[in-house]
Amino acid sequence: MEKLVKLGTDMALLWGNYGPKYLDGVKNTLILALVATIIGCVIGLICGILNTIPYTQNDSLPKRFVLKLIRVVVRAYVEVFRGTPMVLQAVFIYYGLPYFCGFGFESVWAAAILVVSINTGAYMAESVRGGIISIDPGQTEGAKAIGMNHVQTMTYVILPQALRNILPQIGNNFIINVKDTSVMFIISFTEFFAFHRYITGVNNMYFPSAAIEMIGYLCMTLVASFLLRALEKKMDGADSYELVQADSLTMTAGTYNHPDRGSNFDERSKEYHQNSMGEGR
Amino acid sequence: MSEAILEVRHLSKSFGSNAVLKDIDFTVRPGDVTSIIGASGSGKSTLLRCINLLETPTNGEVIFHGQNVAGKGVNAASYRSKVGMVFQSFNLFNNMTVLENCIVGQTKVLKKNKEEAQTNALKYLEQVGMAPYINARPRQISGGQKQRVAIARALAMEPEVLLFDEPTSALDPEMVGEVLAVMRDLARAGMTMLVVTHEMAFARDVSNHVVYMAGGVICEEGAPIDIFNHPKQARTQEFLSRFMER
Repeated sequence: MEKLVKLGTDMALLWGNYGPKYLDGVKNTLILALVATIIGCVIGLICGILNTIPYTQNDSLPKRFVLKLIRVVVRAYVEVFRGTPMVLQAVFIYYGLPYFCGFGFESVWAAAILVVSINTGAYMAESVRGGIISIDPGQTEGAKAIGMNHVQTMTYVILPQALRNILPQIGNNFIINVKDTSVMFIISFTEFFAFHRYITGVNNMYFPSAAIEMIGYLCMTLVASFLLRALEKKMDGADSYELVQADSLTMTAGTYNHPDRGSNFDERSKEYHQNSMGEGR
Repeated sequence: MSEAILEVRHLSKSFGSNAVLKDIDFTVRPGDVTSIIGASGSGKSTLLRCINLLETPTNGEVIFHGQNVAGKGVNAASYRSKVGMVFQSFNLFNNMTVLENCIVGQTKVLKKNKEEAQTNALKYLEQVGMAPYINARPRQISGGQKQRVAIARALAMEPEVLLFDEPTSALDPEMVGEVLAVMRDLARAGMTMLVVTHEMAFARDVSNHVVYMAGGVICEEGAPIDIFNHPKQARTQEFLSRFMER
């Protein structure tokens, strides 16, 4: 109990001294994770669309060659960026570029967003591919049958449904990005975790600061997953629908062979009216 | 005799070494209601899918208004927008409402403006009796209703020919009637239709041309009265007698 109280007071002390710094870190982390996840999704979507352009034997040779080439390039991109640690990618790009080309990134923000985006994009490309495969091919045929081309079929029919299916995956990626952007301290990007390193460098309160970090990260991810669930629910649309009927007594087609037709219970038969009138008296 | 809308010439289709269609020839003229009947696996659906280029024919030609659309360098999408198709499994767009299903093709493919497309869609939804359900989503309506929406979606594109691929096979007997009634009205209104079906009564009473397929070839074709009352081929006789027993 005493220990807990001590931890509490230490955390309060740290927060009192460095609160704005921590909040600044939270802000930078969230901006980086959000922007990079969005750009990553766009990259993933583009890769997904490019990867699924169909070609038949009837297409010309250059077209088939280009489509094959696109698939190879996308595949290589996915394998390289999914298969190496983000920390190293950041180092490679941020310090490697000046070493190799003589020019580098002016802003650490641009570098961080670039690295996290292309990393997310590599994961999203596979998620999007999975999402597209998960949609019943009948939907594609339905769209083709009314004359839509590949891009129209994708934008209006397949991707909205695929996106709904991979939304949990996008949420996953966002939450992973919130946490994993902490490795960007390597290129001296000042996100949430970087402030922990900075603050504990000044004093020795490693554990209380780590506790603040833990709570901070958990709060960010909990809010994120709550918002994502709300978004999923919204995308599913309403559970019910309103009938649009000018005259509520008209029967819709399909009810013409109503089982009561011709029987005593048919509203249009004489017997029905006689019976009902008889009952009325 | 009026000029043909659609001609199929020496069409064949193989999946690997399995020849599903062998040298198919037939003609569709404006106002024709052609029923394609035959046992499962005889190539009926594949023929329809080849006509709409959902399958690429291995050989032969599909001639639409004098132009071969099965060749290289043809814009399949623009051809398909003139040839409607109704599927066995409806294939409505699940992310849209009934009304949006009937609008999207008109605005995106035919580039009509929104109001015009909506009026048009409502007209055809009214025709198939689905106007009250415009706000419903496909998962909220029954199979027969879905199929009627699918027909309205195809009609809204104002196609010259409408292809039906076993439109009632996935429906329970009670719902078959409502879909066939819509198709019968269309036929009466002069729509050119090509119908793959197992509904022998529809083929006999509604169509003016019946094609009987067996083993990937057209075994016999002609007026419904000839095919159903005096089939010439032994295979046609056997197939029809099995159906009539039921």
